[in-house]
Amino acid sequence: MTDILRTTNLTKRFRKTMALDHLNMIVLEHSVYGLVGPNGAGKTTTIKILMNAWQPTEGMAEVFGRDSRRLSPRDFTQIGYVSENQRMPGWMTVEYFMEYLKAFYPDWDVARARELLRQFELPPDRKIRHLSHGMRMKAALASSLAYRPRLIVLDEPFTGLDALVRDELIEGVLECAEGATILISSHDLSEVESFASHIGYLDHGHLQFSEEMTSLVDRFREIEVTLADPLQSPISWPAAWLNTEQSTAVVRFVDTQFDQERTIAEVHRLFGNAHQISVNPMPLRAIFVTLAKAGRKAA
Amino acid sequence: MRQTLHIFKKDVRHLWFEIAVAITVVAAFTFTGARRALWLVDPVTNRTAAWTMVLILLPLAWWTLIARVIHDEALTGDRQFWITRPYSWKSLLGAKALFILAFINLPMLIADVVILRAYGLRPLGAELPGLLWSQVLLAIVFVLPIAALSTLTAGFVQLTFAILTPCVIALVVAIVAPEVVLGGFWGGTDWVRTYCLFLAISVAAPAILFWQYSTRRTAAGRVLAVAAAILAVLGMTLIPWSAAFKIQSWLSKQKVEQPVARVDFDSRSKWLTRAVIEGDRVRVELPLNVTALPTGMSAKPEGFSIQLQAPDGTMWHTDQVLPGYASNMGQEFSLQVTVDGAFYRKVKDEPTRVRGSLYLTVFGNRGTTLVPFGDRSVPVPRIGVCAASRGANRQSYFLICSSAFRFPPLLVSYSFIQSAKETSQYAWTSPQPRSISYSPFPAEPGISPISQDFTLATMREAFSEGRVDAVEALAHIRRSFEIDNLRLGDFEVRPALVSP
Repeated sequence: MTDILRTTNLTKRFRKTMALDHLNMIVLEHSVYGLVGPNGAGKTTTIKILMNAWQPTEGMAEVFGRDSRRLSPRDFTQIGYVSENQRMPGWMTVEYFMEYLKAFYPDWDVARARELLRQFELPPDRKIRHLSHGMRMKAALASSLAYRPRLIVLDEPFTGLDALVRDELIEGVLECAEGATILISSHDLSEVESFASHIGYLDHGHLQFSEEMTSLVDRFREIEVTLADPLQSPISWPAAWLNTEQSTAVVRFVDTQFDQERTIAEVHRLFGNAHQISVNPMPLRAIFVTLAKAGRKAA
Repeated sequence: MRQTLHIFKKDVRHLWFEIAVAITVVAAFTFTGARRALWLVDPVTNRTAAWTMVLILLPLAWWTLIARVIHDEALTGDRQFWITRPYSWKSLLGAKALFILAFINLPMLIADVVILRAYGLRPLGAELPGLLWSQVLLAIVFVLPIAALSTLTAGFVQLTFAILTPCVIALVVAIVAPEVVLGGFWGGTDWVRTYCLFLAISVAAPAILFWQYSTRRTAAGRVLAVAAAILAVLGMTLIPWSAAFKIQSWLSKQKVEQPVARVDFDSRSKWLTRAVIEGDRVRVELPLNVTALPTGMSAKPEGFSIQLQAPDGTMWHTDQVLPGYASNMGQEFSLQVTVDGAFYRKVKDEPTRVRGSLYLTVFGNRGTTLVPFGDRSVPVPRIGVCAASRGANRQSYFLICSSAFRFPPLLVSYSFIQSAKETSQYAWTSPQPRSISYSPFPAEPGISPISQDFTLATMREAFSEGRVDAVEALAHIRRSFEIDNLRLGDFEVRPALVSP
């Protein structure tokens, strides 16, 4: 698969604040990439630079292999961008908004646009400024899906939406995005874990990890070791083990590079008197909490 | 082009109300302006209050329209929906330019044509260069600065702040140190300074527009705007008057070589020399003679530079622009120089050498046109049209001349005559002709396409017609003079002796 988005040492400074610190990220074609991280992690900054709304301080962001600072109108005909805080032309009716945008896209599909309005239950004759936040997001999304973009970029699209609207939007995106690459940012993992194929975790401008969802879930395990005898000396924990806890008879940790044989062997090496080893898969949320707590590179 | 038209149509649809307001104000301007052409016949048509209001409302309507159309796709910020849509910046800029042309320039062009025709002027004939140049000035003065500022601001409040801030600064400086803002009035050559500003606007504003539309890097755009404003102010403040006069000379209609027009100290009237003590300063008056002018030509002093040199070599120097009221026409001229008191006291009893240059405008090509009293204007070559009327009591007389876009660089005098006797029993109502600009451009900045000059006389004599005499500024020359061994102290007078 080729990469649709790529950042190379992407750095953005706002005066003394480092928003992005040499970010290297790749989004592969046809993937659904969830860029997650706490508020202020640098997700929106990354997306703004990718969309040429902001200039990087250092490094480079590429979209379709082109420097994002040189994105042409032609490139934007293949990009659908929706942001939670996008300023929409409130004076336009939904219908006129779609009609107005149609002229900018050679691949605008009128039938699809009509279908999207119907699917999202958007009132065509209502002015955008009179729509609720959720409806506005739907209108933005409908206007970004009607031309079958090759790349869909969604920046915190679900913020402030109720669960029903959120599900409608997700459904809408997935239905219409056949073959498209999706980059979706969110501070809430649960918003993206159900449909993202890849996940990137950004914190303080650093990409803590970026990988396929399945491999991520595979390599994280919560391990509990029951010891036959209490430990006599301090343990030198392997770097891949996080959230280590120990009591006299029990040791708990999260292995970030889990491999059945290797991990068990390592446990036996460190705790020769292991009485019982319990290996538990982790939900994505638990993985993120672990990483956030550890605040260190796990990948 | 398709995208340009598409965005243009969207803007028209969105801003129809603002467009309607602007067009209505232009219509009111056209109607009021055209009716004013009749006011000599029907004074009721001279609705000065309405005219003044229209002249205030018009720029406000334009600025609102420009700001609204540019802010519709605001260039500052990163949350606008359009920046991630396939907009071509050239199409967007083109759409905005088309909008401004369609709803500001075109209506104003039509309004000017209608008003000029109402005055009996020929907007598509002799006045065509002025008509076109007035459109350029409209763009430079009213459109480009606001358009550029609009691209650097996110909304109307920010824009208003951006407009008011420099105005407030200029106002404060004008109050505290008026010479910094104005640098004194340069008379006929003042246009050079104005055009320095226009040049700065014509370069900076399009540069900002192109920069903002092509890159949307507002911080750099704002730096460019501030730098341009500072450069414009510095340019206007620092350019010396003599340089402006040099430009004016270069643009002279006619070359006047040496030895035509000489300037000498009028030694026969040496007794007119005076050194009037005015506190710490001394006003030195020197009688000068302007001679060797060809027949039919006259000269008007515009300014001078002068250098006083003491026998020990110490010098004092000044350049001064003569205020309009101090200038006169004719051969004799009293040059008044304010000299530093300390220098004066040092040299007053010494034989001092005076070296100076007088900057003169040479006028010629006199033309006279008789204007009969009546309802109708008559064409007056080089001016436009003039009309004369007399009051019901036959003792008050009025003569008014209207020109298109600017008053021409002519010294015009008005008189009322008794044609039967063919004598020149005329009544001057103004001892000095109006201040004129020597600008070579066919229009001056302003909203009204009509520039007027008039005279009013109340006389017992019965006059039968008005007369307009005009002489044309042909050349702008500099002539040097020298006075040796002038002992200023010999001519010293105390103010008390001059005006008890």
